Amino acid sequence: MSSKSERDSQKIREFEEQALPLTPLLLAMARRSTKTEEDAQDLVQETYMKAFRSWAQFEQGTNLKAWMVRIMHNTNMNIVEKAKKDKSSGSIDALEDWQVGAAESLTSRASRSAEAEALDNMPTETVLKALDSLPAEFREVLLQAVVVGLSYKEIAANMGDNPITVGTRLTRAKKALRVALADYARSEGYQVDEDGK
Amino acid sequence: MTLPEFDCAETKRHVHDYLQQELTAEENDQITAHLANCDSCESDYDIEHVLNKVIQRSCTEATPEELGERILARIRAKLAGIDNGEEWH
Repeated sequence: MSSKSERDSQKIREFEEQALPLTPLLLAMARRSTKTEEDAQDLVQETYMKAFRSWAQFEQGTNLKAWMVRIMHNTNMNIVEKAKKDKSSGSIDALEDWQVGAAESLTSRASRSAEAEALDNMPTETVLKALDSLPAEFREVLLQAVVVGLSYKEIAANMGDNPITVGTRLTRAKKALRVALADYARSEGYQVDEDGK
Repeated sequence: MTLPEFDCAETKRHVHDYLQQELTAEENDQITAHLANCDSCESDYDIEHVLNKVIQRSCTEATPEELGERILARIRAKLAGIDNGEEWH
């Protein structure tokens, strides 16, 4: 017969084995939705506390990454709600056309290899700044898709959207990012504009 | 049945779905075939592919090793707290 403490330690072992390896991934996500490193680590810790509490509800064999990301998303939403005296942060669907429209025009064929090269050499700090400049809903879809590797369906479930919206947001987020980074690349002297302007 | 061929507009429109493996096997094959024959779409795909790599690379900053330990310590403390009448399971 197993005692309560034996069951607890088995649960901890299972949790440690399966969930804990995801800390780098969750911290990477948390860093993009919080202002300080401390807040990011706090968010990850809160996420893990909640995940452990609900561990029995996790369906083994389903995507644990998606489950953890959803818990973190909801945890962060609660924190954001609580702190919502200042509603300064980017409003929903705030990616204006001017932010995304230019992506097509800067992609003339001659300049594309330059753009790819510039992207490849882009400093991390610049990429993170550009990511952080995206409205939260877009950034989160982008990170869940590209960094965590979740499917549109999983992201939709996490965000309370439908998969088509997820696809649209991903497309717009990447376009906006490309515009922001192309601006930077031009300022560094890469000829990413078709006329080399 | 043959699907309508993916032209440049369709291919560009679905480049993200393609990269995220959100398409059916058939759609996937069509785009792969189109990319193989179209420099313009291929270079567009290359940029998006590089951009994904750059995002991934940029988001993998170091994680402090003690973070995992701190989480486990908190869980153990919480579990121990149950004995003090705190409702948490």
